Amino acid sequence: MAVSIDVRELSFGYKDFRLSIDCLRLETRKVTSIVGRNGAGKSTFLKCLAGVVPVSKQSLFLDGRDLASLRMAERAKLISYVPQEISLALDYRVLDLVLMGRAAFISPFSVPSWKDLRTAEEALRFVGLEGFETRNFSQLSSGERRLVLIARTLAQSAEILLLDEPTTFLDPKHEIEVMNLCRKLALDKGKTVIVTLHNLETAVNYSDTMVFMKKGKVVASGKPDEVLNSSLLEQVYDIRMTIVPHDGKKIIFR
Amino acid sequence: MQNKKAKILTVLFFLLPFLLTLASLSIGRFHVPPKDLARTIIQTISPSTGPRVPTAYQDILFRIRLPRLLLALMAGAALSLSGASLQALFKNPLVNEFILGISFGAAFGAALSLVFLGKNFPAQIAAFIFSLIAVLAVLLISGRSESHTISILLTGVIVSAFFQALLSLVEFFANPYALQSLFFWLLGSLSLATWKDLSISLPIMAVGIVALIMMRWRLNVLSLSDEEAKSMGVNVRRERLLVILFASLITAAATAVAGVIGWIGLIIPHLVRMMVGADNRKVIPLAAALGASALIIADDITRVAATFEIPIGILTSIIGIPFFIILLRRSRKVWL
Repeated sequence: MAVSIDVRELSFGYKDFRLSIDCLRLETRKVTSIVGRNGAGKSTFLKCLAGVVPVSKQSLFLDGRDLASLRMAERAKLISYVPQEISLALDYRVLDLVLMGRAAFISPFSVPSWKDLRTAEEALRFVGLEGFETRNFSQLSSGERRLVLIARTLAQSAEILLLDEPTTFLDPKHEIEVMNLCRKLALDKGKTVIVTLHNLETAVNYSDTMVFMKKGKVVASGKPDEVLNSSLLEQVYDIRMTIVPHDGKKIIFR
Repeated sequence: MQNKKAKILTVLFFLLPFLLTLASLSIGRFHVPPKDLARTIIQTISPSTGPRVPTAYQDILFRIRLPRLLLALMAGAALSLSGASLQALFKNPLVNEFILGISFGAAFGAALSLVFLGKNFPAQIAAFIFSLIAVLAVLLISGRSESHTISILLTGVIVSAFFQALLSLVEFFANPYALQSLFFWLLGSLSLATWKDLSISLPIMAVGIVALIMMRWRLNVLSLSDEEAKSMGVNVRRERLLVILFASLITAAATAVAGVIGWIGLIIPHLVRMMVGADNRKVIPLAAALGASALIIADDITRVAATFEIPIGILTSIIGIPFFIILLRRSRKVWL
């Protein structure tokens, strides 16, 4: 089990945007949420961690191991990722889609074994979608689709799960379901769950750690109770917000 | 119960091309009765046993029909498999073997040989070389851009158009006799198959077909977005090139000896996906089996339908297009 994810002088840019994080340590076996305005670099940061965009060596470390020096399959066994949007061309069955999470363990010229199939079935069970195996992905609701994709990262057997806006487009019930699942993954399975979120209340109430980003940089990070205050929110979002404690949780008024 | 039925059907589909090959040996202008078919085979294996059959049977079956049927079997499997793999790889139901410039590359190669080079440089070899040149050009021009799949497809269209223009240029300069043989080559035909041609093209097709069938599950993962496939540990660029390489090799080998045969690579994969759904673990092997069967049946029709032989490329289009229209109307939604 990994102990820490360290970011040191990470820099990655597109035409008119640059992500630049000098120093950040993310805790393992916890739920960390990354928040910030649109275009703050949250998704780009996840992509860097996931290895789907090229980052320079000596910038991302897992327990001191440089992630950029790992082979793709080796990295995928440590870190799994669900992008913000998935564009599926073919309408696969749920179990076939979850099974794809095993790709790092299977040679390009081979097919999944019984063991891979069991792992995929167990992942589906864990997210509460037992009985959905032969359903087609297109027939599922947005909430169920999210759960299938989380099951796929689970089938990947990686310690670190990166979920890019897993609750967008979900109704409150499904939003809570997904966030509870994230907590369960951290608590029961010891996974490190890193999510980007737009709903601040969800982030505050469901994460162990929060990372606030603005214009490609980390503005603050830490436990919600310790770092969260109105002036930080105003700095990050450029609007005034008020935080009100209620029933052990926090409500944020805009 | 349904599962059992599906299994029996699957076994039947895989046996179908071989049964059809056997049955088709007796079909043709010169009828060979089934009982003589068995006798001829036995006599060829062990010449001293069994009752004598006319020696003409041996010539017809083993020198003319068997190579032709083997070519139909392998080329049908190759064209269908190549279409099915490339459609999954490029996440697009309209992709076929024409898209990477393979067909027009081959056509130009054959034209060059038939019109200018003559017997020194056989059409089959020229077709094979130029179809691979076309694919290489597509891959080199499309380069390392971010949206690699789209740029490969667009470059394929351009390279195809370029080779089509070169083909027209050769046709313009050709004398009437050369033009006629080129015309027939372009319509596709299995009738010229000889063991000598097949000795090169069949092993190439066999290697590519086996490799793509082995990669059938990987094609599921490669049909996801590049980002997702990468995050699952797949070296997308390398594996995409491998699939393109095998698909190009088998299409080039098939086109080089059989000419341009359209529609197999589009219709059969669609039919198979309608039957079994999206999972390439089932789609790929079944596409190979049904593609082989379809081309054998098409070839049988060209031999018996008229007193002259209808070019197979025309037949696959004439039968294929109405069939495709029916398929589209009844289509189960497999593509999103």
